[in-house]
Amino acid sequence: MRTKELITFVLDIGEQMLISGAEVNRVEDSITRMCSAYGAKRVNVLTITSSILVTVKMDDGEMYTQTRRIRSYLTNLNKLDKLNDLSRYICDHKPDLEEIERRIEIVDEVGTYSPKQQYGIYALVASSFTVFFGGDVSDAIVSALIGMLLKLMMGFIRKIDKNTVITNVFCSFIVGLVTILSVSLGFGTNVDHIIIGNIMLLIPGLALTNAIKDIISGDTISGLLRLNEAFVIAVSIASGFSLATLLMGGLV
Amino acid sequence: MMMDMHDVIQIIAAYFTSVSFALLYNIRGNAVNLAGIGGMVSWALYLGIGYFYPNEIVQYFFAAALVTWYSEFMARKLKMPAVVFLSPGIIPFVPGRGLYYTMSYALNGEMTLFSEMGIETVTIAVSIAAGIMAAAAIYRIVRGIERFNKRKKRTA
Repeated sequence: MRTKELITFVLDIGEQMLISGAEVNRVEDSITRMCSAYGAKRVNVLTITSSILVTVKMDDGEMYTQTRRIRSYLTNLNKLDKLNDLSRYICDHKPDLEEIERRIEIVDEVGTYSPKQQYGIYALVASSFTVFFGGDVSDAIVSALIGMLLKLMMGFIRKIDKNTVITNVFCSFIVGLVTILSVSLGFGTNVDHIIIGNIMLLIPGLALTNAIKDIISGDTISGLLRLNEAFVIAVSIASGFSLATLLMGGLV
Repeated sequence: MMMDMHDVIQIIAAYFTSVSFALLYNIRGNAVNLAGIGGMVSWALYLGIGYFYPNEIVQYFFAAALVTWYSEFMARKLKMPAVVFLSPGIIPFVPGRGLYYTMSYALNGEMTLFSEMGIETVTIAVSIAAGIMAAAAIYRIVRGIERFNKRKKRTA
């Protein structure tokens, strides 16, 4: 058995799970189970939001250590579901390395919604939240259009700088500016409902949910890291809107 | 008891917020609809409790608990990670509104309103977290008992 390669594949799966939006507990549990299925005597895994560290002691007493650094996240819960199935399959059937590799490749090909559909989804998120918080029909339409603009801007800024804080400050600044402008021109009636609808697109909903789930399962470090990350994002959103508001001379 | 029109619109909108977030997180197939129903039902519970016991903290707590149980139940039934249902389902409760008004009061220099709104936002976030925690704890205990009974049956 080529243990080194096996651990690399197992870590690949764990890494992809974490990137796609899994809780820390799920990642650690999957890695442990997969290694144990191939006869590891002892598995020590430490996962935090930015890194995975695993040391495995095999039957013959040999020790193997590998680490991964995770730099950016890309939420994809469909992929997470597929990875979860894959890890279960590996534990139950113990396939050989070639099969694991082939199956990881299949999971990697899990697509996202097409760019056109993505614009539609952004519009739907923004307008449904605008209605949810009490906006009228004209607000919902303006909000949907600004949601699509936000998607466009996000794609643009991510090409220049991948930093989350910068992305959020920039995007919320643009949203604030365009909203205030369009309402003062007579498109849409409530600035607040339109902006809130678009704020929801930037808010790290998954980071918050996972923070709570991590803390429940005892992974306090990761939970606090995620909570902190969510707080930083909230502040960066607020600062972007503040800039826009101040520039336009106060809230309408 | 009559529900007013605003509540009906909000419940329908809650379904769409959850569905749209499920799509945003790239969830496919029937799970999208189920996540939407989770968000809708728990928002209806939030409003429903409001009729009998108008206390935001209590309302958010039980609604968050409901959506947690719902997603754990669905996750088990469909053999998917619970987060697939929980994170879109909890979305209507995320206090984006509080964040916005807190910020806008701060900008307008209304410090009393700012601190009130800020505290309210944090309180809501904490009561949602508490609801999820309580529900998850109870769910784990119930599952633990189930497993224990199964093991006992096997050994007996």
